[in-house]
Amino acid sequence: MAGGFHNKNLFPLLSEEGHRLLQWLHEHKYAPHYTHPGCDRLTAEGLEKVRAFEAELDSPQQSRRNGEMPDWLKEHVETCYRDVPFYRRSGSAPSNFTSIPTTNRRDLSREPWAFVPDSQPLNDLVIYQTSGTTGHPLDVLTHPTPLAMYLPLLRTALAMHGVKLEGHCGRVSIILVCFQKSTYTYASISPVLNQAGLVKINLNPADWRDISHMAKFLDACDPEIYTGDPISFAELSRLPLQTRPKAIVSTAMTLLPGRRHRLEQHFGCPVIDIYSMNETGPIAVWLREAHVVLQKRLYIEVLDRDGFSCPSGVHGEVTVTGGFNPFLPLLKYRTGDWARLAFHGTQVLLEGLEGRPPVIFRGRRGQPINNIDVSTVLKPLLLVQYSLHQNRDDSLHLRVHGRIQDQNRLRDIIISLFGEGQRLFVEEVDSLPAAGKILQYSRDDE
Amino acid sequence: MKAEGPQLEMLTRRLAECPTDFLLDPRIGSSGLIPVAAVVSDLIRDLSGKTPTAQEMATFQKSGDRKLYNYLSTVLVVCWLLNDPWFRSRSQFAPAALRFLSNELIEIASTTPVRKFTSDPDRREELVRRCLKEIGLRPSGESIVQAQDRLTTLNTIERQQVIRAAREAEARAQKIRQEMAAKRAAAESDAKAMRE
Repeated sequence: MAGGFHNKNLFPLLSEEGHRLLQWLHEHKYAPHYTHPGCDRLTAEGLEKVRAFEAELDSPQQSRRNGEMPDWLKEHVETCYRDVPFYRRSGSAPSNFTSIPTTNRRDLSREPWAFVPDSQPLNDLVIYQTSGTTGHPLDVLTHPTPLAMYLPLLRTALAMHGVKLEGHCGRVSIILVCFQKSTYTYASISPVLNQAGLVKINLNPADWRDISHMAKFLDACDPEIYTGDPISFAELSRLPLQTRPKAIVSTAMTLLPGRRHRLEQHFGCPVIDIYSMNETGPIAVWLREAHVVLQKRLYIEVLDRDGFSCPSGVHGEVTVTGGFNPFLPLLKYRTGDWARLAFHGTQVLLEGLEGRPPVIFRGRRGQPINNIDVSTVLKPLLLVQYSLHQNRDDSLHLRVHGRIQDQNRLRDIIISLFGEGQRLFVEEVDSLPAAGKILQYSRDDE
Repeated sequence: MKAEGPQLEMLTRRLAECPTDFLLDPRIGSSGLIPVAAVVSDLIRDLSGKTPTAQEMATFQKSGDRKLYNYLSTVLVVCWLLNDPWFRSRSQFAPAALRFLSNELIEIASTTPVRKFTSDPDRREELVRRCLKEIGLRPSGESIVQAQDRLTTLNTIERQQVIRAAREAEARAQKIRQEMAAKRAAAESDAKAMRE
């Protein structure tokens, strides 16, 4: 995929050096086939907002003792009830924060447009379609400016581990590594990182002209850091890389301690786990014994099923209010993830976070199949909620909440992913387990 | 509407002066402050001298559903309104008041944020008139026809406002859906530093 990088709309702040790097990333003899033109779309005004956001992150943390509400919370609640259709339907804003009803992924999945404030201009709308690892596929509406705000949060998380993300002009800072049957890939340049490169690649051989090009291209890029998930890093560690990053940042799935240790040994750098969601951006970074909350305008609670705060030391559902995405002001949004809330000095901590465990299924020819690929192929069927389990004999058990419109199509889709002859048992159920987070993907041996 | 009730202005003024205690959050599950069932029970006792049954109070103590916030808050405001000495002194409105609080008020509260029933003059008047009508009264000095006409006018204004707001909301939602479709068709990929 070449072309788009000449378009000023895609890169309004692209410098000459940035342009040269973008061209190099596209024309490199070992470059992958990018599936899409990358873009940044950050304007000068947006960049200013990102810098202000970064400055706020760097400012001394305000202490938050258990039960204390931040100053901005009251105004945020009032704005939501006045300006956001979804919340406005509930009537007046309760004066007590605990009286506000919780929202969840199902609410957002059903009508993402109802969460966009009336006063929010729709210019440069960005949509992220999530694969639905919690069971509800989702369109998240956002904007280039909040997407660029991921970078200061990433910098803060890395700094907590003693790693400085510098972002030199003319070099690649970040490579986001995937290992999926198919995903968007692109090359981009970030003005937040001083015109450094940000590249997304897929380690699926089908994305490359030759399998040997993967390592050669990554060595040529020599990024400051790699981001990705535990599955893609397992694949990355098989490549004969000559270069080493400053750090590896793992997101999207639970990073088990054994995997982290192996990756740290292999790459000789810290492997850092960040808890992040499309709805919120990066929430917290693992440090020593717990995840430390990164965002200053994200109020975090841990609630029980009835919506009441869990006592200290008790596991509950991580529920968030606020955030930095103006297209999605969150109000008591249940994340579907579970943890204990704790406080250490000025830090807010999530202890014992139960995230999304990665699962590698086995296809008919023994080929590994990433659970993200399962989510991707099932997305067009618009299933409300489902879980997939692979038994020890490799047969599959798919449980679907409610009625399946076209069971033959569903079977065809799964069998074409796993291979002809795959045994599949499909079950329609009235409800999937509600206790804690739904374990959407599982295998008998994991 | 057959009988004449109190003066309209006396009741709208009473709503405008609703004490803060009645505007605090209703208790829902274990959140909120004001136990709505207890307030309704007090009202019914004040209006009739009889304590309502637990079954009659069940609507006001449903556990946990915070989506009832606006309705239960409106119940508190109406309890304040009907606790006026004019109603108490006649000892005859308890059954109709309980019916109104348990039934018709649910629909009224579904379209109007509770704060408007005290702060917005039209919504104050509408609530007073609806309340009087449901307990068989009309404002003092008005004929049945006049009272009905005025209530119809207020209802129409309110309905038009609700319809207009719904149309605007749908137009906005439609615009966002169009932008989403256009964005999908553009097939560009906005860079993000990590997977989620």
